Amino acid sequence: MIMREKVKLEKKLGEYLEDVWKCIRCGFCNSVCPTSTISRAFMASLTSRGRLILLQAYFSNILDKSLSDEKIQELMEYCFGCRRCMEVCPPGVRIPNLIWRVKQFNRERSYLRRTILIRYGSMLKLLSSVSSLSNLLLHSYIGKLLLEVVAEISRDVDFPTFYTSLEKWINKREKRQSHRGKLAYFIDVFTNYHEVDLGKKIVGLVENLGYVVVAPSQREAGTLLLEEGLIDEAYRIAKENTENLYSAIQDGARVLTSSPAAYLALKKDYPELLGDSKSRIVSENTIDIIELLLKEYEEDAIDFDKNPEAQIVYHHSCFTKASGLTKDIRRLLTSAGYTLKEIDRCCGIGGVWGMNKKHHSESIEIGLNLFNELKRMKLPVASQSETCRFQIRNNSSVEVRHPFSFIMDRVKIKN
Amino acid sequence: MANYFNKISGMDVEFFEKLLGSGNVSTSEEELIANSVDAYPGEFYKPETVVWPESSEQVAEILRYAYERRIPVYPRGGGTGLTGVAPIYGGIVLSLVKMNRIIEIYEEDMQVKVQPGIIYDKLNKELEKYGLFFPPDPSSGSWCTIGGMVASNSSGLKAVKYGTTREYVLGLKVVLSDGRVVTVGSRTFKYSTGFDILKMMIGSQGTLGVFTEITLRLRNLPESLQTAVAFFPSVESAVKTVYQIVRRGLDVAAIEFMDEKMMKAVAEYKKIHLPESKALLLVETHGTKIAATEMMEKCVSVFEENRAVEVRVARDAEEREVLWAARKGAYPATLRLGRYMIISDVVVPISKLHEAVQKAYELGMKHGVHSSVIGHFGDGNLHVHWSAGNDKEKVEYLHRANDELTRWAINVGGALSGEHGIGTEKKKFVKQQFREAYDLMLKIKRMIDPKCILSPGIIFDLEEVVS
Repeated sequence: MIMREKVKLEKKLGEYLEDVWKCIRCGFCNSVCPTSTISRAFMASLTSRGRLILLQAYFSNILDKSLSDEKIQELMEYCFGCRRCMEVCPPGVRIPNLIWRVKQFNRERSYLRRTILIRYGSMLKLLSSVSSLSNLLLHSYIGKLLLEVVAEISRDVDFPTFYTSLEKWINKREKRQSHRGKLAYFIDVFTNYHEVDLGKKIVGLVENLGYVVVAPSQREAGTLLLEEGLIDEAYRIAKENTENLYSAIQDGARVLTSSPAAYLALKKDYPELLGDSKSRIVSENTIDIIELLLKEYEEDAIDFDKNPEAQIVYHHSCFTKASGLTKDIRRLLTSAGYTLKEIDRCCGIGGVWGMNKKHHSESIEIGLNLFNELKRMKLPVASQSETCRFQIRNNSSVEVRHPFSFIMDRVKIKN
Repeated sequence: MANYFNKISGMDVEFFEKLLGSGNVSTSEEELIANSVDAYPGEFYKPETVVWPESSEQVAEILRYAYERRIPVYPRGGGTGLTGVAPIYGGIVLSLVKMNRIIEIYEEDMQVKVQPGIIYDKLNKELEKYGLFFPPDPSSGSWCTIGGMVASNSSGLKAVKYGTTREYVLGLKVVLSDGRVVTVGSRTFKYSTGFDILKMMIGSQGTLGVFTEITLRLRNLPESLQTAVAFFPSVESAVKTVYQIVRRGLDVAAIEFMDEKMMKAVAEYKKIHLPESKALLLVETHGTKIAATEMMEKCVSVFEENRAVEVRVARDAEEREVLWAARKGAYPATLRLGRYMIISDVVVPISKLHEAVQKAYELGMKHGVHSSVIGHFGDGNLHVHWSAGNDKEKVEYLHRANDELTRWAINVGGALSGEHGIGTEKKKFVKQQFREAYDLMLKIKRMIDPKCILSPGIIFDLEEVVS
């Protein structure tokens, strides 16, 4: 049976199988892996290198167990796909991509949870359409309990507040005339349903710069599905989003993002998953709001009220690091007159990993040093990732905003 | 020898659980496998149990028990070793990662006492607050432990100025194979008090004892760093430059060499442009701003005397990082040539460096494998990267080439390893390296660990120790 499974896995891994053997077991990944900091991670099997050694042992017939084994899957769950490891791995092993494919063998996940995961975009859309009722329910004790039983979201998590979707708001508005071009906003769920105000400000600013913003038909970015090993489902979403965004590009638009998860999905994940020309074209035509504003600044279209000088903390979110946007954010914030104190520590949320009842307390443990440091510094915090902001806000009670929001406070549009 | 050691029974596990708590003992298949290899591309050797002691007393109890029962014990730190220190005879992996505290910082004495499981980079991060550091800087510093560094006498890019781990260990608390605890060394920089048992322990790779407390001498963080890269028309001119820098007493912190083949691989991997040349030297100077700058100016003169085709001196930290990025990209760059690669760690007298590079090329040609060279040339340490790309059939030839180079290095007065150690990988060269002193080493091992329960199969063959 295990032999059959191996053949199946080899097929599913495809080119990633070579990555199993590329690992030289140096342990560099452990040094940056957020889950290495939890107290149980003194056990080698719970570390990033440990997971790779287990895979090498599996394919060398040393580990005589099925990958669907509960214990193996539990260990694989300690990779929540932050991608910090990929920055330091000498041979360039695509560790998260490998682990996602091993997670495909997870048979422990309940049918209900799987259904929720696959349909989470639609569910959030539904909850947003009746936002008042959803907020009342999800913030009540019964609601939290229900969420824990049905979706395995820890009852200790304060689910973010729902609002009417940004997508709806954009599409309802009267279209302006453009003299700078069209931007197709790929929003992703958090901004779409929970941080709608941020999205509105982004739209407002870029429209004032002369762009037209549209919200093409879109689904969630699907990163969560990849992290859960639901590759086929993630593939379908990637395909659908790519088709829609490709059409928008054909209509003369560029794709705009403000979430690092959305940016990473379009820039790197979709082309890798789909391997087609359309996803590559979408990738090439995607621009993050930070990149856009930096370009506007360099082309002298915007300037900043630089006074008074202000000190803020810049928190390096894992996905921002992985997407390579850190330099641009740093440049834009300092150009706007902010002095940055940078903190490069994971907050522990890992998308929804830290909301899961199994991992919630460990997620807080990972972020604890960060939360304490932020509390001590008592400065406003800029963090690009929506879930990092959510986690930091809930655990350190400091003011934390998207870098765009700090830019917005000081930006001046030149004529 | 197959039945020399006793297998671990349920009763043994119960004993360890009672001693350490059940959370500090594991016999799970996954945990055993995760502890069955280090960073050497060798076979898996599964231990029978993994234990995590939290004090010297617990380590002593474990060893006392294992000695009684004749069960092999393999001390383990970060598991980043490159020589195959794996539990060949099964038994116990004694993981020291939970003993990871700084016991005391003696700021005025510029010393620190630590437990063995603390990670190198974490220790230095803490010491930075005092303007101090522990210099050896192995490339695995982000995950290797101080205990592992002492056991392997590891070092790195800055050894030419700062030396190796050995130069910094002042004292050790060591648990011997039968559970006796001995303290060796002192908290002074010098002492003239008979046999140097302390130094004998360093580099013993877990075969003589388990270090549970380590006192280290520290250095002041340098005020200023100056970095330059020079490109040379020949390997010979680069090597001559190294010799002249050392001979003229320029106390540089690093002299890193990279050959043409390595430069090409790095340029391709990093997508950077490097000038047409046969060799590169990266030199760094540390000291006060005036001293570091002056010394760098003298180095640049030496580069020019030796007809360097281009010299780049970093003007700030960012530029320094760019220069180092090329050097640090060497390892990833060769790893991308294919999955079958091994790295030599030979060290030769610096007068033999040019010959050593030529030998590496000659052996690469002879065995049909790719050979490119980097090295810490200030101390004569060569890392030849032997690569067979993805051709499994050629793996044997990688080893043949590396073995021949190692034998050659020993014959010219060098050593089989500069900073990685012996482990299982280089065991076959130990007799050639030590000659008549090998017998003495065996006798010492037999005396200190008569049942050979400590890391059997590492450095020595078990049969030789217990015969």
